[in-house]
Amino acid sequence: MTVVSPAAEPRRGKPWLQRALPYLLVAPTLIFITMFTLRPAVQALWDSAHSRPRANQPFAYVGSQNYEDLFNERHFIGRQYVKILHNTLVFTGGTLVVSLPLALLLAMLLNRKIRALGLWRFCVFYPVLLPMIGGATIWAFLFSDSIGLLNTILRSFNLGTVPWLLDPDTVLPSVIAVNIWKQTGYFMLFYLAGLQGIPRDIYEAAELDGAGLFRQFWNLTLPLLRRTTLFLLIIGVTFGFQTVEQLEVMGRGNPANRSNMLLYYIFQLRNEKLNTGHVAAMTVILALILLIFTSSNFFLFERGRHDEKA
Amino acid sequence: MKHKLVFVFLLLGALVWSAPALAQDEEIVLDFYYPAAVSGPLQEAFERYAASFTEMHPNVSINVVFTGSYGQTRETVRTEIEGGGAGPDVAVMLSVDLYSFIEDGTIISAQQYIDLLEDPQDFVDDFFPAFMLNSVDAEGNVWTLPFQRSTPILYYNKEHFAEVGLDPEQPPRNLDELIEFAELLTNDERDGIQIPLAGDFPSWLFQSFAIAHGQNLVSHDPTEAFLNTEATKASLAAIQELGDRGVMPVGGSAWGDTPTNFIAGAASMIYHTTGSLTFIRNNATFEFGTGFLPSGPPNEDGEGYGAPTGGGNVYIFDNGTHSEAELQAAWEWAVHLASADIQADWTTTTGYIATRPSAWESEALQNLVAEWPQYTTAPAQLQYADKEIATYRSIDVQVMINTVLSDIISGNESDPDLALEIYQEQIDSLLEPYRGE
Amino acid sequence: MTRRLRRPGDGWRLIGTALTVAFALLWLLPLVFSILMSVRPTRSSIINGNIFFACDLEEEPPGPTVGVGPCWFTGDNYAGAWEVAPWPTHYANSILFVTGTLIVQIPTTTMAGYAFARMQFRGRSLLLGLVLLQIMIPSGILIIQNFAMIRQLGVFDTQLALMLPYWGSAFGVLLLRQTFRGVPLELEEAARMDGANWLQLMRHVYVPLSIPAYISFALISISSHWNEFLWPFIVTRSESVRPLTVGLNKLFHTTDLGANYNQMMAGTLIVIAPLVVVFLLFQRRFLESFAQSGLK
Repeated sequence: MTVVSPAAEPRRGKPWLQRALPYLLVAPTLIFITMFTLRPAVQALWDSAHSRPRANQPFAYVGSQNYEDLFNERHFIGRQYVKILHNTLVFTGGTLVVSLPLALLLAMLLNRKIRALGLWRFCVFYPVLLPMIGGATIWAFLFSDSIGLLNTILRSFNLGTVPWLLDPDTVLPSVIAVNIWKQTGYFMLFYLAGLQGIPRDIYEAAELDGAGLFRQFWNLTLPLLRRTTLFLLIIGVTFGFQTVEQLEVMGRGNPANRSNMLLYYIFQLRNEKLNTGHVAAMTVILALILLIFTSSNFFLFERGRHDEKA
Repeated sequence: MKHKLVFVFLLLGALVWSAPALAQDEEIVLDFYYPAAVSGPLQEAFERYAASFTEMHPNVSINVVFTGSYGQTRETVRTEIEGGGAGPDVAVMLSVDLYSFIEDGTIISAQQYIDLLEDPQDFVDDFFPAFMLNSVDAEGNVWTLPFQRSTPILYYNKEHFAEVGLDPEQPPRNLDELIEFAELLTNDERDGIQIPLAGDFPSWLFQSFAIAHGQNLVSHDPTEAFLNTEATKASLAAIQELGDRGVMPVGGSAWGDTPTNFIAGAASMIYHTTGSLTFIRNNATFEFGTGFLPSGPPNEDGEGYGAPTGGGNVYIFDNGTHSEAELQAAWEWAVHLASADIQADWTTTTGYIATRPSAWESEALQNLVAEWPQYTTAPAQLQYADKEIATYRSIDVQVMINTVLSDIISGNESDPDLALEIYQEQIDSLLEPYRGE
Repeated sequence: MTRRLRRPGDGWRLIGTALTVAFALLWLLPLVFSILMSVRPTRSSIINGNIFFACDLEEEPPGPTVGVGPCWFTGDNYAGAWEVAPWPTHYANSILFVTGTLIVQIPTTTMAGYAFARMQFRGRSLLLGLVLLQIMIPSGILIIQNFAMIRQLGVFDTQLALMLPYWGSAFGVLLLRQTFRGVPLELEEAARMDGANWLQLMRHVYVPLSIPAYISFALISISSHWNEFLWPFIVTRSESVRPLTVGLNKLFHTTDLGANYNQMMAGTLIVIAPLVVVFLLFQRRFLESFAQSGLK
């Protein structure tokens, strides 16, 4: 950490106030974080180790039973949970693998002086403005079985139709496509900001050295945008693991939970109070995944920052 | 705090003591919660019913509150009462939630009021028996009154029937005919039959098959569910066959898209709720007919019908603080909602099936039926209908049944027999603590 | 054409432009088709099985319509969608939700941001760690437990329930901490010499120098809460409190008895049109402030 200001030393006024000031300043934030992050996280941990056989009966300590159930092939939740965990990983990875490179490509395309730049930027960016529920509703129409646009086009070329959201094998890719459409513009914005932060003369110097476009991209642009990419990776994963809206509109995890994901499954099971233990265990696992991923990246991120300064 | 409590007790004591004297003129406000599963001027209709009720009972007024979907309504009611709140006095909720509320101990049985009637049996007999199945517990006590009920029926495109040489007045009567007709009707442009088994609740339409194959998924005993049975397996095989023969989309269609597909001519026959009749009637540009669900093998008469019921009942709540007069008023309001006049009006407003035969004799419904005879199919089919999935731990049991059916029907389960066995085991282990009481 | 290729980059430039236009059109397609769908009569859209490739089969639908070539267009879907939910109320609720959240976030994050940036106190690292916890475990995944909290506080189904969990923002604290550390210490010392107290110090030194950070924080806070669905859906019940996203969801689910996509598209467009207009008006400033914000 850096050297801390002498300004924080008590100067005048009541000394107790000076001493208390930093605590008073952080108190509001910490109160809210304690109420809505720390306390519920602890609560989830406690709940995940308890269970009750019937409503109105007291909770009993069951150790790791709830967690074991989640991964037990012969338990009704376990039979779904592993599949849903898998879906979430495929969804998050699938989105990022396409949308990050695409966002960078679009940012480079739109970081040039071309005619009607504002229009092209708008075209790619507008999905970001739409609430996901609205965007997904539009796509539900495009994907719909017999009157949807995609199938109408397929039919007019005599290609047969695809039950996009009803076939277990096409539903997840369809939901991923919508997510790519929605998020690429957002990611692009960060890349655009990153690109504009790179001084022009670096490229000119490279060009004088005879570096072609690909070499410039590979040796200059990509490394200089490393921090942006890491940052986008973190928020992309955080978003991915919290996916709910598309699923609410595009089939609610059906068919056969082949498009269901972790947070939406928690949401679906929340009404049955007899399952609190399992739902809490799922919450804990989801929190742990994000905790491990973000904190490991956070350290990479911080280290990267020091490298750049050096 | 303590003083306040003492005061409240004194006040309550005074109220209880004086209640019989006041009962006649006590001003009563009933909180009434209702969900919406269809669009339409629902609030306005309920306000109307409330006004006519207050006309008859000047000291009672009804506070009509819209509480979202069925799920939200249930959640709202439960959390309000759990948090020490009053909750509603009367609410419309899914008929299948009965055992959740019996277990919570927050509702009161309608039976005690029915017993006070001049002719209790007569009152119960005027509801369709199929609709009463989800109102009674294992001992036969009536808890709730049928209010907005539905059942799935078969819709078919008469023009398509004529086109392939089928009699447009003769819908399929059993599974064999269903397959046979569907094969004739299927071509490049359309499916012979679409059954919405791909959504959240494959179990509802699946029940039609199970019932027609001789064993419903549930019985009158709320501690039993019958998933791993021969009827289930035969039903799954029938659904599989429809898909394999290419006359139905494999895995079924989506709930909301199915009536749209029917109107678009992309499906010649569909299974759907009676609630869709108005939408189809308003948008179809062809002659269409309705029939019973032909989901089972033919009996000696050549019929293989079976259907579940669905929809919401009226529940009466008591968190222990209600006066006798308030409960009496709540009961009267429930009876009012289930009355023939209001049932007839509710049918014309929403498309639900009026729950008592006497409502169908009313002028309003006679006129409707004269113009659209398709409306008579649902009440007539009730003779083949059985109860919806209602057991203890209802939501868990429903989720389990729906999940395993969805897995198998969509072809996502490599070992269906094992899956049925596992889920049956799980359901039994959940219901075990409730048995032998 | 005899145009001379001046530099080897020119060919690439052409490909680049072609690619730009191709992607832009691809991305725009859903919007274009939702607009078309929203102005076509329900009946003809459904019957033809497509929205404008087969207009010639149509009869004139009932109600007020406009015919263009063989196709018919109508405003009925908008009228229908307008009826489904009290959109002005939902709009007001969304605005209240995002502003009410931001107005409290700004002082809380400013205070904590300064304390963590410039003050030394016992337990500082521990408390900073607690703040970081919120970045790592987004409160969005603790919905079940937080819902119970909202119940206990007795604020279920109020605007307060929507905002409360967001009044402490770890992201805002970290962003401002980073920004405040970039403010030269000499400025703070000079202000203190002049007898400025803490509030004046913030008002005259730190906040004015950190405006871009505030703008980008505001943009991110507003856009994420504006689009938020799950939390408002769970902690509210009444339409008088619910934001737009939840209203939109209702639009989708009232069609459970047969999907009326025309009306769904009309409703979606009613909701998103004002946003798109606002963005178009402020596009340049929006993108610029984003680029300046230091969020790279």
